[in-house]
Amino acid sequence: MADALVVLPGDSVDASYLPTAQKRKIGLGIKQEFQSNDFTSTVAGRVEVDHRKKSAHISTPNARYIAKAGDSVICQVRGASYETFHLYINAYSPQAILSHFSFEGASKKTRPQLKTGDVVYAKIASAQKNMDIELTCVNPSTGKADGLGPLNEGMIFDVSLELADRMLKKQLAPVMEELGNKIPGGFEIVVGKNGKVWVDCADAGAKGIIAVGRILQKLDEDVMQEKEQKKFVNRIIKEMG
Amino acid sequence: MPRIADVSNVEKNFILEALISSKLRLDGRQLDQYRSIDLTYGQQLGNATVTLGKTKVNVQISAEVTKPSEERKFDGIFTITTELSPIASPGFEIGRPTEQEVLLSRILEKAIRRSRAIDTESLCIVAGQKCWSVRADVHVLDFDGGLTDACCIATMAALHHFRRPEVSVEGERVTIHTMAERVPVPLSILHSPICVTFSFYADGELVLLDATAKEEQVREAEMVVTANDFEVCQIAKHGGKPVDPAIVVKCFQVAIFKAREMNKSMRARLTADLAKRDIRGQSAENERGEAPIG
Repeated sequence: MADALVVLPGDSVDASYLPTAQKRKIGLGIKQEFQSNDFTSTVAGRVEVDHRKKSAHISTPNARYIAKAGDSVICQVRGASYETFHLYINAYSPQAILSHFSFEGASKKTRPQLKTGDVVYAKIASAQKNMDIELTCVNPSTGKADGLGPLNEGMIFDVSLELADRMLKKQLAPVMEELGNKIPGGFEIVVGKNGKVWVDCADAGAKGIIAVGRILQKLDEDVMQEKEQKKFVNRIIKEMG
Repeated sequence: MPRIADVSNVEKNFILEALISSKLRLDGRQLDQYRSIDLTYGQQLGNATVTLGKTKVNVQISAEVTKPSEERKFDGIFTITTELSPIASPGFEIGRPTEQEVLLSRILEKAIRRSRAIDTESLCIVAGQKCWSVRADVHVLDFDGGLTDACCIATMAALHHFRRPEVSVEGERVTIHTMAERVPVPLSILHSPICVTFSFYADGELVLLDATAKEEQVREAEMVVTANDFEVCQIAKHGGKPVDPAIVVKCFQVAIFKAREMNKSMRARLTADLAKRDIRGQSAENERGEAPIG
């Protein structure tokens, strides 16, 4: 790929940068001028083009998370009212609500047991401006949870939005694989698009979880090539014993 | 309106369990290990930035001539101002000081100002009429726990670094010389207090040094001990769970030890930086290297 193009809001993005196929996906920060082939950026960041998927968007690695429908986030319960839970996604988002019925197998008789301070992995059903964000823990078409729901045990680590994105796109597969091999018993991970990662190690326990946490922090701080990543993983595993 | 949530049950349970059963901290540190401390000086004299892990504090010292207060005609004035703003953390708001902010100002005040770290008598120019008013502005740029410790180190580092203009008095006439005429003069610093924060867990059995923000949120009690190279200057424990006195006394020893260590590194860093400047305090080079201390 050519050298990275960094833009500010209002800059025009040259059409030659972007894929030209008919069914291309231009989005998140790039706006097409009305009925022309001119594009302007609406946010500040780096233009990322994926020619394979024929998509282009602007990545903002250190931005605040803005809730978008369809994202899966890890949020914290703040309180409950008659039929909804009130949840907290991050410091800058409005309050999110989760109905008691948005769980697998929920009915009027069975209420999900969530206390203040509990953590839930939920999907954003709708995020309109000036309205509370609506969450759900169940797939609306199948009625199954598909992994959504309360998270118990384990630990939650804060990561940058960029790292969370990379993990969701499976770009960190080599590091994760290496970790999986080195930690006895493997580990389980849930990535929230709001920059939170939940980790649990059934066998390795606290040591394993801390090892994964430290590696996530390091991936956030430094840019490392695959070999360096593997070396760092081995170093941490040795330190933790 | 941005606000921070309390720590979640998952995080709280994990941090406490890892600490109590295996003495493990999230970043792999020992219980009494500080995060790496970076101390850099700015272009101007009296500007110091301290990074303690992710916590970042900047202090700027300034001085101006003013009239001394009526009750203390022979003393100059020394004030420390701290303001926590959202640049450090979404939980802080300007104009509405939280309990944490008030406590931070009070501890710094007692540790540095009331313990007479600066000799205010030396700031007097003409008794009753003119004196120096030295002001330390503490700006917290990033917050991840250890705020009291970082602010104190940064303030002391900046005070050691600062130079005020030379003054000559002839009868009633006072001349303040510019930096170009006469070499500026360092402040008269009597001792170097360093704040050390202790965080207690498991009924006071477990003591941590330099807690991160998450560790701070789950602690049962905290105690700030301020010590210089020789003795303890100030102790503050505002509420929290009771702690066995034997453990508290041990903390005093640790505090003096850590203060000595910190002061030694600070002095080394200060000498290195002053060597790079010419006699009037102008930096000889534009590049400032960052050397980790501690």
